[in-house]
Amino acid sequence: MFGDVLRTEFLKLRHSRVPWISLVALALGPLGLALFMWIAAEPARAKSLGLVGTKASLLGLAATWPAFLTMFTEVVGGGGLLLLAFVIPYLFGREYQEGTAKNMLTLPAGRHLFVVAKFTVAAVWWVIIVAAVSLETFAIGFALSLPGFTSSLAVTALLRTLELAGVAFLLSSFVGFMALLGRGYLTPLGFAIGTLALGDIFSHTGWAAWFPWSIESLLSGTLGPQVATLPVGSLLVLLLTFLLGVAATAAQLRWGDNTQ
Amino acid sequence: MRGELAIAARSLTKRYPQVTAVEGLDLTVRRGEIYGFLGLNGAGKTTTIRMLLGLIRPSAGSVEVLGERVRPGQSAFLGRVGCLIESATAYPNLTVRENLEIQRRLTHAPQGAVDEAIEFLRLGEYRERRAGHLSLGNKQRLALARALLHHPDLVVLDEPANGLDPAGIVEIRELLRGLAREKGTTVFMSSHILTEVAQLADRLGIVHRGRLLEELDRDALRSKRRALLEIPTPAPDDAVAALSRAGFGPSERDAAGLRLTAEPEDVPAVAQVLLAAGVPFTGISPLAEDLEDYFLRLTGGEV
Repeated sequence: MFGDVLRTEFLKLRHSRVPWISLVALALGPLGLALFMWIAAEPARAKSLGLVGTKASLLGLAATWPAFLTMFTEVVGGGGLLLLAFVIPYLFGREYQEGTAKNMLTLPAGRHLFVVAKFTVAAVWWVIIVAAVSLETFAIGFALSLPGFTSSLAVTALLRTLELAGVAFLLSSFVGFMALLGRGYLTPLGFAIGTLALGDIFSHTGWAAWFPWSIESLLSGTLGPQVATLPVGSLLVLLLTFLLGVAATAAQLRWGDNTQ
Repeated sequence: MRGELAIAARSLTKRYPQVTAVEGLDLTVRRGEIYGFLGLNGAGKTTTIRMLLGLIRPSAGSVEVLGERVRPGQSAFLGRVGCLIESATAYPNLTVRENLEIQRRLTHAPQGAVDEAIEFLRLGEYRERRAGHLSLGNKQRLALARALLHHPDLVVLDEPANGLDPAGIVEIRELLRGLAREKGTTVFMSSHILTEVAQLADRLGIVHRGRLLEELDRDALRSKRRALLEIPTPAPDDAVAALSRAGFGPSERDAAGLRLTAEPEDVPAVAQVLLAAGVPFTGISPLAEDLEDYFLRLTGGEV
């Protein structure tokens, strides 16, 4: 039965523009980084480009592969959380926005199967986007002829990207619950922004390894010193957060009143 | 008896913080019958239907559908139920065929069921059209096709005539009648269009302010509808006075004269009273109170 539910969840995306929009949204990240690299490679360009040039100069960027890939992993980590706050609510919230939740919930399939199938679709969707944007990043790097490329650097950056993409996905299960609770897209988006802000606060308190939404910053190094590997406790927190989010989503779909 | 019932609701109640939508509703629908669930907008019809299908949890009471107790999230019985709740909805980015394919896969209907449903609801022309581009009437047809695709034992339809033109309403009426008569499908349909339900239903339940006021079959309805005599007269006050003195009544004035509550066999006696009193009148015609009138009388005239 799960196979049938999963197939229908993929079918629901057919002819939809949203997967393409999400791909374009994240693909803009490496393009922006490419602009910074292009400016950093030739500091004289900064003077003629006003604000963007000043910003790029202020960052003290070096136009090298290590700097470019470090920034890319940060885009996947932070941007991924925000993007997933659109992707997952789209999968859950559209059923309410388009009035199809009552159709879905009167089908002879366990409601938890829809929840697991939707998260599976989101995971596949996310993997495809991350893979495509990673390819784009490497293509841009080679096109800019950035110095400092080594295969070990590429492997390390790809592994870090995968780790951050995984963390972003594990942190996003609660936005599914929020989409069901708010029956749309705004509540989960507000939740995602709120948790990002809380993550920022907790990252300065010494509790970053234990607060789920701060853990991403440990890996990316955006809000403090970067760690090579996450402590086991943080991994458990992430896993627990994901499982609780999925369970809450399933419980809401099963026991919540569907008065759409 | 229990096995003969398609739907059995006992003391079904749904309370929200601000309002009680349904209160103590007892409902029985026999297998193979067409049951009309009548009520004004906001009477509690859709809430009842949602409880029947497990979409919302009753605050009190219980429901059995096709012999199975309905519990939140319990879905086994839904394979034998087709439904259309409130408005016709579909995935707008998917075509008619793709929308029906979702239903087919999850109800385990055979491969040809989608084509059959498309033909049955005359949607062939729109087969590859996206649902978001369909007219209201065709969206309704798509929703009906979705409800009927897997040949359910019970069809629950909430306002099935919504958005359909008069020809479409007649067509759907015949389709539902055929389902019940030829395939033994139980049809539970709600509507606020009283005459529409009266033409189709074997039994009627009248719900008002969350309570089931009356449950009756078509014969009982016919017998309960008030018989009236229409008497066109230029002197309705004199006519009322004369008829009251003779023990007739009550009566209501209308533009043409008056309407007297009386049986058709009373026509000679009424004529005699009016002639004796010298009240001019141009005729006496027996009338049956229509369903709307009966409904209004039952609900105390509230609309």
